[in-house]
Amino acid sequence: MTVSIPTLTTERLTLRAPMMEDFAPYAAFCASPRSAGVGGPYSQTQSFTRLAALIGHWQLRGYGRWMVTDTATSEPLGVVGLFFPVGWPEPEIAWSVFDAGEGRGIAYEAALASRAYAYETLGWTTAVSCVLPDNTRSVALAERLGAVREGSFTHTDYGEMPIYRHPGPEAA
Amino acid sequence: MTTIPHLKTERLTLRAPAPSDFGLYRDFYADAEGSGNYGGPLRSDQAYQKLCADLGHWHLQGFGKWIMERREDNQAIGGCGIVHPIGWPSHELTWWLMPEHRGHGYAAEASRAVIRFACQTLRWPNVETHMRDENAAARRLAEGLGGKVVRRETFPDGVTRDVFVLPEPEPESAP
Repeated sequence: MTVSIPTLTTERLTLRAPMMEDFAPYAAFCASPRSAGVGGPYSQTQSFTRLAALIGHWQLRGYGRWMVTDTATSEPLGVVGLFFPVGWPEPEIAWSVFDAGEGRGIAYEAALASRAYAYETLGWTTAVSCVLPDNTRSVALAERLGAVREGSFTHTDYGEMPIYRHPGPEAA
Repeated sequence: MTTIPHLKTERLTLRAPAPSDFGLYRDFYADAEGSGNYGGPLRSDQAYQKLCADLGHWHLQGFGKWIMERREDNQAIGGCGIVHPIGWPSHELTWWLMPEHRGHGYAAEASRAVIRFACQTLRWPNVETHMRDENAAARRLAEGLGGKVVRRETFPDGVTRDVFVLPEPEPESAP
C-alpha cells in the first residue's frame, strides 16, 4: 500500500510531498548550523537518508511532514508538518525553516495549516510541539501558535525537550 | 509515489516494508553482532528511522530494499534490495537476515530476483555490490552470484572496498 501525500495551500505557501528535486536545498539546510535544532549538521548521505525518512514516515503513519514551498516561485523554504517517530512522547507539529524562508512567518503559516489538517482531516484531539529550550525562535513560534509549556521529556540524543501543548480543535 | 512491486522466488516473497516490520528492524538492529556490518547496534528509535528511510528511498530513487518474507509461513526474515544514497559513489545490492535465518541460501535467492528485476524492469546493464574486506560472508555471496571484482574504491566513509559486478542470473524455473 502506498500512501499518497496530500498537497495543502495557504495564502503564500504550498505544502507538498518531499521529492528528489528537494535534495539540494534540504542538504544545504542539513549541512548548515540551522539544523542544530534537529541534531545536525549532517553529511550529504545522512541528508539523503533524512529526506527519504520524511517520505517513509508518511507511509508508516499515514501522515508526516511536507516540503513547504513558495507558491509564487516554487522555492523550498522549509519542512513542516506532523511527526511521530518511535521514541517521541506523542504526535507533534514540527517545523524547520531553511535560510530562504527566514523572517517571513513561513513556519507560522505552515504550522497553522498542518494543525488544521491534523484536527480537521485526521481527527486529532490534541497536538504538541517539542522544542529544544535554547531554540528561542522555535519557542517563540510555539507560543505564537498559542501552545503552552507543559512538562518535558528526555530524548536520548537531544536531552530534555520541553513539550508545548497546542490549543485543541475547538480553540485553535 | 513509486509503487513497490512484489517479487516471488521459490521460497520467498519480496514485498514493500510496512508498519508491522518495525519489530523486525528493532530486533535486528538491537543485536550488536548480527547488525555489526549494517551500522548497528541501533536503539529502537534509530531502527524506526531506518525503516522510514528504507521505505522513502523507493520514492526518491525508484528502487530500494524489500522485506524478505518466507512463503511457507509468511514470516519476515530480513531484507534485500538495491540502494544508492546521494553522496555515495555507486549503487549497491544489499541484503540482511536475522541471524537465525542465515545459512539457508535466502540472501542468494533474494539477490538473484533483485538483480533480475534491475536488469529486466529497470533496464540496468548490471548490478554492483561492495563490502568491507573483513566481511567474508558477503564476499562469498557475491562470488556465488557470479560476481567479479571490477575495481577497488575508497568510499566517503574512508573505507576502501572491492566493488563487484554481478551478472544477470539465468532464468529461474517458475516458482
